[in-house]
Amino acid sequence: MDANSIIASLTGKFPEDIYDANVESDIRVIAKVKPQNVVDVCRYLKEDLSFGHLCCEFGADYPDRNEIEVIYIIGSYDHPVILTMKALLPRENPVIESVVPVYWNANWYERETYELFGVKYLNHPDLKPLVLPIEMLGEWPLRKDYEGFPNKTAKNLV
Amino acid sequence: MEETVGPSEMIIHLGPQHPMLPGPFRLNAKLRGETIVDSEVEMGYIHKGIEKILENKTYLQGITIVDRICYLEALTNEEAYVGCVEKLAGIEVPERAQYIRVIMEELSRIQSHILGMGEYAGFVGFVSMFMYTIRDREDLMSVMDSVTGARITHSFLRFGGVKDDLPDGFKDDVKYVFGNLKKAIDQYEELFSTDSIYKARTVGVGTLTADVAKDLGVSGPPLRATGVAFDIRRDEPYLVYKDLDFKVCVQKAGDVYARIQVRLDEMRESMYIVEQCLDQIPSGPLFPEGTAYGKRSPVMRIPAGEVFHRVEAPRGEMGFYMVSDGSDKPYRVKIRGPVYPTLQTLPPLLKGVTVADIVTIAGSMDTCTSEVDR
Repeated sequence: MDANSIIASLTGKFPEDIYDANVESDIRVIAKVKPQNVVDVCRYLKEDLSFGHLCCEFGADYPDRNEIEVIYIIGSYDHPVILTMKALLPRENPVIESVVPVYWNANWYERETYELFGVKYLNHPDLKPLVLPIEMLGEWPLRKDYEGFPNKTAKNLV
Repeated sequence: MEETVGPSEMIIHLGPQHPMLPGPFRLNAKLRGETIVDSEVEMGYIHKGIEKILENKTYLQGITIVDRICYLEALTNEEAYVGCVEKLAGIEVPERAQYIRVIMEELSRIQSHILGMGEYAGFVGFVSMFMYTIRDREDLMSVMDSVTGARITHSFLRFGGVKDDLPDGFKDDVKYVFGNLKKAIDQYEELFSTDSIYKARTVGVGTLTADVAKDLGVSGPPLRATGVAFDIRRDEPYLVYKDLDFKVCVQKAGDVYARIQVRLDEMRESMYIVEQCLDQIPSGPLFPEGTAYGKRSPVMRIPAGEVFHRVEAPRGEMGFYMVSDGSDKPYRVKIRGPVYPTLQTLPPLLKGVTVADIVTIAGSMDTCTSEVDR
């Protein structure tokens, strides 16, 4: 399976949901996905295109575009192609379906993205902070407008 | 995790400081009698915020920061980070520098495996073996020290090359250390395969099957111990790995014993790679000629773009995703550490085992909390 056939298969199956799909090199593919159907796309990727390995999932903040990107890096144990899939969410209310039913190890990645970016995952089994204390919830420290030191230090939280 | 039901169940907390895993980390286990019914991992005791720090440092300053994600993997972390920047900027690394990187990274893999194995032997009661592995590791550290000038946090790689060339007599030093190490590894293997107590505690304990391991997203030695020959050095070659001869070490059983055996085999394989590199290494420059790389220029602008680059770290797949907006600092860096999914497998893996096996199973994963908790 190579990068071109993967893109053709993906856009053929989901013409509405997948857009801006590009081949970057033989082993790198990039595509954007509509947030509401991300679980269906992931299930198709895993079951039909043997993308069985979720490398990671994380957020990136773009305040000037007023968007938060949720990025999925999906690889495979059978072929060397890696897909970078992006879902664009509005910055005021970022909500997306959880992909834990498809990729089990998305669990911690989604908890981390939740506490650091404020992305809410629907139907996540246990959405609570992973690496930050519970008092930091709502600060969203990896967003670009987070004030950080010295305004938001542990000392000032007390 | 739900509350306990009745007096037959109790919750015990292992950690935040427990020898089973280096670094602060807590495992809450719900027990019925001596059997674990349910467990939960709690992280977040040493959150260093490395991703946020990297956003505020120039690219060159970032090299010293990624060393500290996990200090046993310092060189492979650097390789992932530097490789990512090189992909973004389109820098070609000269062949001699690539060989030096491979040599140093394989030495780093050996010292990481040998410490992981020695610590593990300590967990199951072979405390004196831990001392022996520390002694053997120390010789390796001295060899690495003679090249990089540091023992743990090397800061050795640069964009486009490496900081220094190999010193005179490096090949002889490595040969001498490897001679001792090969004998030592044979002894360790003999001990593991003949000791009945060790075998009773490891064979058939904490078994992962290949399908489950793939589903859980595991990589590195825990995955290869289940029979899946997945190695990024071979499947997605970086540096000069495609010119080198090595095999991917695989075991069938997927239990604790197999995971340790994979590490033993990988140490031998790494020594073979280093020996090949030392024979084949060509002469030439350490940085691409006719460019500013290697000169003292701390400020460097990278063209805008996004790249995911991954390498095979001692513990599995280490990847960096980097977004550049064209300035001298990265816009967003995401670190994909190998231990993160491996540690997530503990709750399902520990279900149904006894308390005594927690240490055996968690220890055999060779985890590093500092890397998960970055």
